[in-house]
Amino acid sequence: MNAITAEKMVLALIGGVTFLIVALLFSILGVMLAKGLPAMHSGFLFDASRDFGRSGGIFYQLTGTLMLMAVAVLWSLPVALGSVLFQTEYLGAGKFKNLLTQLTYILNATPTILFGLVGYIFFGVYLDAGVSWVTGSLILAVMILPTLQVSIREAVEALPEKYRETGMALGLSRPTQIWRIILPQSFYGMVTGVLLGLARAAGETAAIMFTATTFSGIQFPQLFSDPVPTLQTHILVLAQEAANPESIAQAWGAGLVLLGLVFLLTLAAWAFRTRMVMESEL
Amino acid sequence: MIQFKNFSASFGGRKILQELTFSLPANSITSIIGASGSGKTTLLRALCRMNDRIENFRVGGSILVDGMDVCRPDTDVYALRRKVGLIFQKPCVFPKSIIDNVVFGIREKITKKDYPDLAEKVLREVFLWEEVKDRLEEKATTLSQGQQQRLTLARTLAVEPEVLLMDEPTSSLDPKSTAAIEKLVQSLKNRHTILWVTHQHDQAQSIADRVLVIEKGQVLPLSAPIVRLVKPFTKAG
Ligand SMILES: Nc1ncnc2c1ncn2[C@@H]1O[C@H](COP(=O)(O)OP(=O)(O)OP(=O)(O)O)[C@@H](O)[C@H]1O
Ligand SMILES: [Mg+2]
Repeated sequence: MNAITAEKMVLALIGGVTFLIVALLFSILGVMLAKGLPAMHSGFLFDASRDFGRSGGIFYQLTGTLMLMAVAVLWSLPVALGSVLFQTEYLGAGKFKNLLTQLTYILNATPTILFGLVGYIFFGVYLDAGVSWVTGSLILAVMILPTLQVSIREAVEALPEKYRETGMALGLSRPTQIWRIILPQSFYGMVTGVLLGLARAAGETAAIMFTATTFSGIQFPQLFSDPVPTLQTHILVLAQEAANPESIAQAWGAGLVLLGLVFLLTLAAWAFRTRMVMESEL
Repeated sequence: MIQFKNFSASFGGRKILQELTFSLPANSITSIIGASGSGKTTLLRALCRMNDRIENFRVGGSILVDGMDVCRPDTDVYALRRKVGLIFQKPCVFPKSIIDNVVFGIREKITKKDYPDLAEKVLREVFLWEEVKDRLEEKATTLSQGQQQRLTLARTLAVEPEVLLMDEPTSSLDPKSTAAIEKLVQSLKNRHTILWVTHQHDQAQSIADRVLVIEKGQVLPLSAPIVRLVKPFTKAG
């Protein structure tokens, strides 16, 4: 077997695997669309659910999900940004900094159910905060923290060293340096990080199930201690009523909306990342 | 007036500069020449504490700027860097407008309505005003390399440093831009103490009041070691 046939075989293998992945993705999309679209009636997104979710829309589940995600990012962003700036601007290169970096990679790879469990034990059991949207958003915040931290840090580290040095040589103080050089020059990278964090938050379900959400009877939380309905819980509960075709149809519809949400966020993240690459090539 | 007293610098135990003692008179141009890797950049960066972020960088002895030792840990490095401006070998402008670049170092200290006057003043000082006066809002990255280098000089002058450290400022420029910068430095010397690093021997002699040679970690006056300097790599090690 000569080098060219070997190369052809490798190419065929890579092509085959790629095709498989793409086919899988499209078949999931296809099934979601085929099953979910029939549930989409005119008011699906903007009506409250009725009859225990068997009819009506998913308005409060959707707003609940969006709210949990947004609040989670709100908690998480300052912590992520602060720790990134501490790492990149205040710590000199050294063993401690490398250790921190490795730690965040490990955290990022940790199965999120473990975060959920720890969060549940801490907030739900130890602090006895009960089932509420605040608890849920805090746990979500902890879960997406590594994602945010890593993508923001990568954006900040992608900033060419010469900008930092130029700012230093002009006598800018560290806070000025951060405000005027680091943050603006890595802005698009940060937005990408936030969007990916949001997308991840939308995907995390297991942990908030026990801590933040209820299935029905609640619309929009009025108090900090109120639970909140979410798309994820909605889908899970409806899907368990396998005998009832109306419930199943509604579950597919909600699933399609959730998928669309994640898809949109990822798309936006990608668009911003492209933008960032263009900025840094100036 | 800048005085080096028994000044040494090393990276992780590797001595780059050893026991330097010499001084730079105020309001004059001193040129330092030396082969690549001889420690010219290290010397300049130590003078404005730019190596603070490098973990294994160590210094010994002292550098006095106006009688103050810049090596002390309690030195106000931000004030020091405003007093001792460093111009890099490669011009680095921010992807912003020309005028934003000029005022970058002192935006916090003046009001927005003073930007145009200040910009005109320093851009005239670096002989760039006529070339850019109609395009101050354009991106600075659209300027040529030589124009960018003069812009970085204007940006540093806007901070009003007493000392200017120039690290091979013309090495990435064509002869015309080089001549422009050399001429410009002559016009700055009556108000600034200038330290100009280069590895071009003839350039050093034509612009400087005094030429120093840096070799094997030592700084010497030009006279004696000139022969060794011209062919620094003929002897191994
Ligand atoms: N951050 C660093 N870490 C370790 N060693 C360094 C670092 N920066 C410079 N050095 C070493 O210090 C020595 C002097 O470097 P320096 O940059 O001062 O030389 P130079 O005279 O400016 O050379 P050139 O003419 O090429 O710019 C070199 O041996 C270099 O490898
Ligand atoms: Mg150098």
